[in-house]
Amino acid sequence: MRFTTLLIALLVLISGCSSDTDGSFPQNNISMVIPYGPGGGFDTTVRVFAPYFANHLGDGITVLPENIPGTGGRRGTATVYRAKPDGYTLGIFNLPGLVLPSVLGEKVDYELRELSWIGRVESQDYVVLVQAASNIHSIQDLQAQEKITFVSIGYGTTVLSAIQIMAEQLGLMSKDPIFLTGYEGTTDQLVALVRGDGNVTVSPISTAVQYVQSGNLRPLAVTGQNRNRNFPDVPTFAELGYPGLTPLNVQRSIAGPPGMDPALLTQLREAFTRVMADPGFLEAAAKAQMDVAPLDGDRAAAEIDANFSYYEKFKANLSNPNQQ
Amino acid sequence: MFDSLLIAFSYLFSDAVNLLYLTLGVVVGILFGIIPGLGGATAIALLLPLTFGMAPEQAIILMGGIMGAVTAGGAVTAILLNTPGTAPNAATCFDGFPLTQQGKAGMAIGAAATSHVIGGIFGLFTLTLVLPVAKTIVLWFGPPAFFMLALLGLTSLTVSSGNMLRGLIAACVGLFIGFVGYDEIGGTERYTGGIDYMWDGLNIVPVLIGLFAIAEMMVLFVKGGAISEAGSQAQVRFTDTLEGVKAAIKNIKTLLSGSVIGTVIGSIPGVGGVVAAFLSYSFAVQTSKDKELFGKGDIRGVIAPEAANCSKDGGSLIPTLAFGVPGSAEMALFLGVLILHGLNPGPMLLIEREYTIFVLILALLAAMILSAVFICIAAYYLVRIAYIDSSILIPSVIAISLVGAYAVHNSIGDAFAAAFFGLLGYLMVRYDYPRITLVIALVLCSLMEKNYTQSMIMFGGDWTGFFKDNTSLVLFSCSAIALSIPLIQLLYKKGKAH
Repeated sequence: MRFTTLLIALLVLISGCSSDTDGSFPQNNISMVIPYGPGGGFDTTVRVFAPYFANHLGDGITVLPENIPGTGGRRGTATVYRAKPDGYTLGIFNLPGLVLPSVLGEKVDYELRELSWIGRVESQDYVVLVQAASNIHSIQDLQAQEKITFVSIGYGTTVLSAIQIMAEQLGLMSKDPIFLTGYEGTTDQLVALVRGDGNVTVSPISTAVQYVQSGNLRPLAVTGQNRNRNFPDVPTFAELGYPGLTPLNVQRSIAGPPGMDPALLTQLREAFTRVMADPGFLEAAAKAQMDVAPLDGDRAAAEIDANFSYYEKFKANLSNPNQQ
Repeated sequence: MFDSLLIAFSYLFSDAVNLLYLTLGVVVGILFGIIPGLGGATAIALLLPLTFGMAPEQAIILMGGIMGAVTAGGAVTAILLNTPGTAPNAATCFDGFPLTQQGKAGMAIGAAATSHVIGGIFGLFTLTLVLPVAKTIVLWFGPPAFFMLALLGLTSLTVSSGNMLRGLIAACVGLFIGFVGYDEIGGTERYTGGIDYMWDGLNIVPVLIGLFAIAEMMVLFVKGGAISEAGSQAQVRFTDTLEGVKAAIKNIKTLLSGSVIGTVIGSIPGVGGVVAAFLSYSFAVQTSKDKELFGKGDIRGVIAPEAANCSKDGGSLIPTLAFGVPGSAEMALFLGVLILHGLNPGPMLLIEREYTIFVLILALLAAMILSAVFICIAAYYLVRIAYIDSSILIPSVIAISLVGAYAVHNSIGDAFAAAFFGLLGYLMVRYDYPRITLVIALVLCSLMEKNYTQSMIMFGGDWTGFFKDNTSLVLFSCSAIALSIPLIQLLYKKGKAH
């Protein structure tokens, strides 16, 4: 695939040399960077979104998904950050996944707040899960447990941070819980919980739905303002008296490099808005089990600041639980 | 269940378009298998946009065609160029390449193709049988079991190395390289030297390309001439290939044990084909009476890993379909394809879409047979590679290798890594250190370390926990047995001598 990307990139280069520009955008194909490997959630989102985005931008244009995985998404993000702001390099970004390294004091080669935000495609709330056979039926039961072992993806990930913030807010830290980290992804982590490696976990809702449907796992509570359509009987944390957990979510937003021409940015944002209202896109997204929650460019950008201030607040709770 | 199978069968074979997709998948799969560095994952990603307009089952047929064919293509490169076309073909180089040097490439390809088909059928048959209980099997493997599995891999590695000291040194270098990168649990960077590229650790594909493809070209450059030493006549007779087919059937024990190992290892997520093929190879060596023949062009050394390579596909579908946990890189991408088509892999898919799963199983089966036939026919032409003069072969292979390494992650760092490992590989060949030992240690390192740490967190620091987990205990016993086999054989021989 990268091979073809290369080939196509070469073709684009050649065609770009010969065509005379009348100044209108877009003249060429657009590359949309996915800072993760193919096959995952971000990859799916872009592959569903790209053809509709291309249609709404102009005839004969293709938006090419380009996977640039590495360093937990930082490599791909830095690639977009450094690209020419001509609209031909865009990317999809993970919130708070790309905010966390900065909050945790790691060196990053990008500044999220400087990117030219086009809009938010998805937002997913979290759900707290236990084994279906467990005797924990509510958050209260969980708080009454003597021994708590969280299963989680590794340090520096959105899921572990969500677990740590929850543990703190629910007053579980006094029980000296074990954080069994290092699982490869959310699915591995759910299977680990089914197997009984630990007794509780936190996951983005869409991944968890079918493990609940199949009778393996039980949801206890969800983050977000409202109850989730998949779990109408499961309370939100706000209902349970923990409004501090409401903002916990994972967002997928589209942006271009810093310093984009305002007219160009407006054009991209308008196309984005049209995609979000396109019934064809919404149908494809529903089929791929995406959680479409559109925000326009300005509000998507505002989410970056909201994320920074939220996670900065919990900074003291986010140190590595298994530091050697 | 039987009804679903019949519906799936008629769906696949009653429509010419479906057969066309299957053939397309097989052709692309073989080509991407042959070119080092490209592999099944790249092929799936490339054809993915094509599937947008298709029915989910048609997309599955196309992808099944690729997955069933890719290791068959990879075996050809391993045999002819001593370069694994895909990572799991690495163990095939051991005996496949010496066979080529002896002018028996046609036979090796015939044996590989036959092992491919029989191993594949075995894996898929097992998959069909265990699907109803697949969940239980997946749940047997927690962190303690994974650790013991990695230990078993390392144990059989040292036992089966020809020269144990050099084998151990190569394994240690592999383990050391495996530690490079970000430690997810401890949250620290190790031996990265502040270079961003090193953060993710070394990617297995550029390492393989360097150690095998590039190193082999350096060896050839020093030696001059062509790969095959058996004269210059580029003649492969059909009888050679047929001889390979016969050899595979004659060594049915090796073939079946390879298939069992492939299926079992394949079904464990995160372990993957490299380990399956290698374990199968070392099992064949350990259980044979004439060990000294291996590594010098023993046909069993091709049969064992190739049977495992193909049977592991059936095995790795167990966790993929039962839980949506991919058993390999190709499976991860295949999951992506399913999701794009609205099929959510995991416990519900098994219940709701049984027939779709049978379409996949049948497509894989057809692809395995088709690709075996293709490579046997193509062998006639491909074998000429072994007779191409080095002045043409070397620059072509090195160029393809470097592009392949770059293409994996669009990363120039990977191209440099391939070049570095090319040099290391050459030195290892020159001073007779086993390269595959290094690769296996590298693959097992992160598996072993991570699962050890996770197990110790689970046990609260009490290592006896490893012996309280059933799967872990069984695997530990296997390691103990593997270590004691040479000792027992030695005592047995001594007893006989007296």
